[in-house]
Amino acid sequence: MDNSELQPIFDFMRKLAPFDSLQEQTLKQCCKVLTIAYYSQEQKLVHVDNNEPQLYIVRSGAFEVSTQEGKLIDRIGEGQYFGFSGMLSGEKVVNQVHILEDGLVYHLPAVMFDQLRANCHSFDRFFNQAFAKRLRNQSSLKHNHISTARITNIMSRELTTITRDATIHQAALLMSEKRLSSLIVVNDGELCGILTDRDLRNRVLAKGLTGTLLVEQAMTEHPTTIKPEALIFEAMLTMSENNIHHLPVVKDNKPIAIITSTDLIRSQSSQPLLLIGQIDRQNNLESLIQVSQKIPDLLFNLISSDAKAMEIGRVLTSVTDSLTRRLIALRQEQLGPAPMTFCWLAFGSQGRQDQMAGSDQDNALILEREATKIEKDYFKQLSEYVCSALNECGFPFCPGNIMAQNPKWQLTLQQWLQAFSKWIKTPDPSALLNATIFFDMRPVFGDLSLFKQLQTTVLKNTKNNDIFIAALSQNALQSTPPLGFFRSFVLERDGSEVKGIDLKHKGNALINDIVRIYALSVGIEEVNTIKRIEALIALSAIDKDIAMNLLDAWEFIAHKRLTNQGQQFNNTQPVSNYILPDSLSSLVRHQLKDAFKVIHEAQGTVKHKFLRQF
Amino acid sequence: MLQQWWLHNKLKRLINNNKLGRPEHLQTHYQYLLTNFNQPISKTDLLALDIEMTGLNPKKDQMVSIGIIPIINGQIQPKFAQHKFIKIQGSVGQSAVIHGVLDKDLNNALTQQEALDWLFAQCQHKVLVAHHAQLDLQFLQQSLRKTGNKSFPLFAIDTLLIDKKRQFRKHQVLNTGSLRLNACRERYNLPIYNAHNALTDALACAELLLAQLNKMGGLETITLAQLLESH
Repeated sequence: MDNSELQPIFDFMRKLAPFDSLQEQTLKQCCKVLTIAYYSQEQKLVHVDNNEPQLYIVRSGAFEVSTQEGKLIDRIGEGQYFGFSGMLSGEKVVNQVHILEDGLVYHLPAVMFDQLRANCHSFDRFFNQAFAKRLRNQSSLKHNHISTARITNIMSRELTTITRDATIHQAALLMSEKRLSSLIVVNDGELCGILTDRDLRNRVLAKGLTGTLLVEQAMTEHPTTIKPEALIFEAMLTMSENNIHHLPVVKDNKPIAIITSTDLIRSQSSQPLLLIGQIDRQNNLESLIQVSQKIPDLLFNLISSDAKAMEIGRVLTSVTDSLTRRLIALRQEQLGPAPMTFCWLAFGSQGRQDQMAGSDQDNALILEREATKIEKDYFKQLSEYVCSALNECGFPFCPGNIMAQNPKWQLTLQQWLQAFSKWIKTPDPSALLNATIFFDMRPVFGDLSLFKQLQTTVLKNTKNNDIFIAALSQNALQSTPPLGFFRSFVLERDGSEVKGIDLKHKGNALINDIVRIYALSVGIEEVNTIKRIEALIALSAIDKDIAMNLLDAWEFIAHKRLTNQGQQFNNTQPVSNYILPDSLSSLVRHQLKDAFKVIHEAQGTVKHKFLRQF
Repeated sequence: MLQQWWLHNKLKRLINNNKLGRPEHLQTHYQYLLTNFNQPISKTDLLALDIEMTGLNPKKDQMVSIGIIPIINGQIQPKFAQHKFIKIQGSVGQSAVIHGVLDKDLNNALTQQEALDWLFAQCQHKVLVAHHAQLDLQFLQQSLRKTGNKSFPLFAIDTLLIDKKRQFRKHQVLNTGSLRLNACRERYNLPIYNAHNALTDALACAELLLAQLNKMGGLETITLAQLLESH
């Protein structure tokens, strides 16, 4: 036993992120080289010596960091740090540290700080200003849940192709030699068709044709394909919807692999699909309500398996989509076919495919043309049934009444175009409130072309529309993320302290808003925030660092929301987006703070870029 | 003022007294106190000290461990913290419950003479600080006698006395236990340490002193003369 070890210092430090990740021996060294000072309010300011930088670790008391101009940067209590930014950037610290409450502070010399950063990856990551890296690594630790695993995990490495001018005989030989049930047909390296066992049987042998037939005469042209980023679960859905067993994986028009139903069964990723299958098989409302009671279980299974938040959102939204489609179909069995083509739209979180527990429904109808009184009655009966049924299935009515059952939102394509045009031309506050909901729209059922026409026109009008985009930006910047945490409070940017934080409205929603502005300004069709960001990066319409940071921040906050909801669910508490700082570990506090900082900086960029303000 | 003058003279007399035998470092220690007598405390190096004993009676009971931690430039220096066990006659007995030192810990301990030599070497150029210093210093003096040395006056800054005076000045009624180390620390919002060993208590005492000094006007304004007590 080392006699000169100071137990209280060690006990305190070992609970503190990132020191908690250090080896015991290293941590003991740390405890040895630090010095302890006491700061009292009478001194007002902590004298920070730029020539001898050090990490200030607050053991007790309270401090406030502000700029020279007096703008609050952070309030710091027990277990938090200051003085490290200068050591990271090598620049002179000009910030001021005010003493709010007397307290003990440990000083860790720069030499030790640098040594720890050099030797301990997680320590460096914690303090590194490139906080994004830290958040990103956090999410890469996650296990691949079966339902949210990507098809890249189960794709065969080797792809066997044949050209369209080869003969069926050659194709059959190749398939039997490689023991394949299908071949991808290529033309100049690009996918042009697929040839399967079934094609050989139905289109060649059954018709009495011979092996001299050309592949292009027996193949299926332009088969349904899937992208490599797709989830296994989405591949399953695509196969079962189209009644096919082979799905070429295509990247930039080039086939890279093929997924078969056998691959999927082997991956056993069936839970959400089972639920969707069950939904599709139910023939009455009562049994649908019963099946949808399993949705929370699905959600919390996904949460506990630590799936990525964006993927949970996609899975959950797929279930809602299926439920909506099944309800429409059920009602149409009673009412008969619709008197005209229409499209059922989803808005808000369902539109963006980021639904979580307790998401309410936002939906509407696009009608082909003005409805007669009888036709209106048809859509009234259809929409009221579906909306009430969704409510009973766990998707509450929209408090703002943005629902298909509201006659106000059963509009013809022309009326929708007028409505959007009005919002875009005269962006008053209520129009902008609508914008955040309506501009995230996605077709769920019915005639896609109606939706396409609407979307194309809307995006054409928003693209490069400086006035509208500026108004949208102005509106989005009304709400700011918190600065961080102080003890058991959330610290707002104006210095006020509040008890808890709504991670949806003060976190993900702010990112959704920022990304929507960018997306509308360049006319991107995607509505999912993550996909919008990816599209923006591809178009170089956003600074890549900001975009990557936003992706990380979105995922981190959403993941925190989900785990919080998982805990609430396990404790049979009402599920909400509200989180109390006391329930957060010191590492999570730091990370959330970084995520808020990312949002704040991105808001600054929006202000600069779209409002021409600095 | 009178007390300070008296202390000053006492130190001078002690330095001129050439009967100071072992431990030989004492003379240097007295000289350091005298030189820094009117200096602000921030310029003076301090050594917070705590001793664990088998009981509270210096005549009967024995020291089992000593913890020291220096305060240099107004900052506590864990790097130079030290903790020593001291050989005793007999067993630690029931006192182990208090200080947690077991007989087996004392197998490789210092002898009393070694412990005294070590301690006075450490404080040659430092001022002792202790909570309820009287007790610790009495044990040291008793130990000097037991080891065949001559006993001499010892000086220390006493965090207990500082708080006692501050409480009196505020006309506060002192309750039993209100001057205990943890009770004092609580008044300054210092964290409470549960481990009870000589080194932890020395650290706790050092932190308390820094808090007290800050409340009394700061380390720059208070001189050693205002704080030092003779025993």
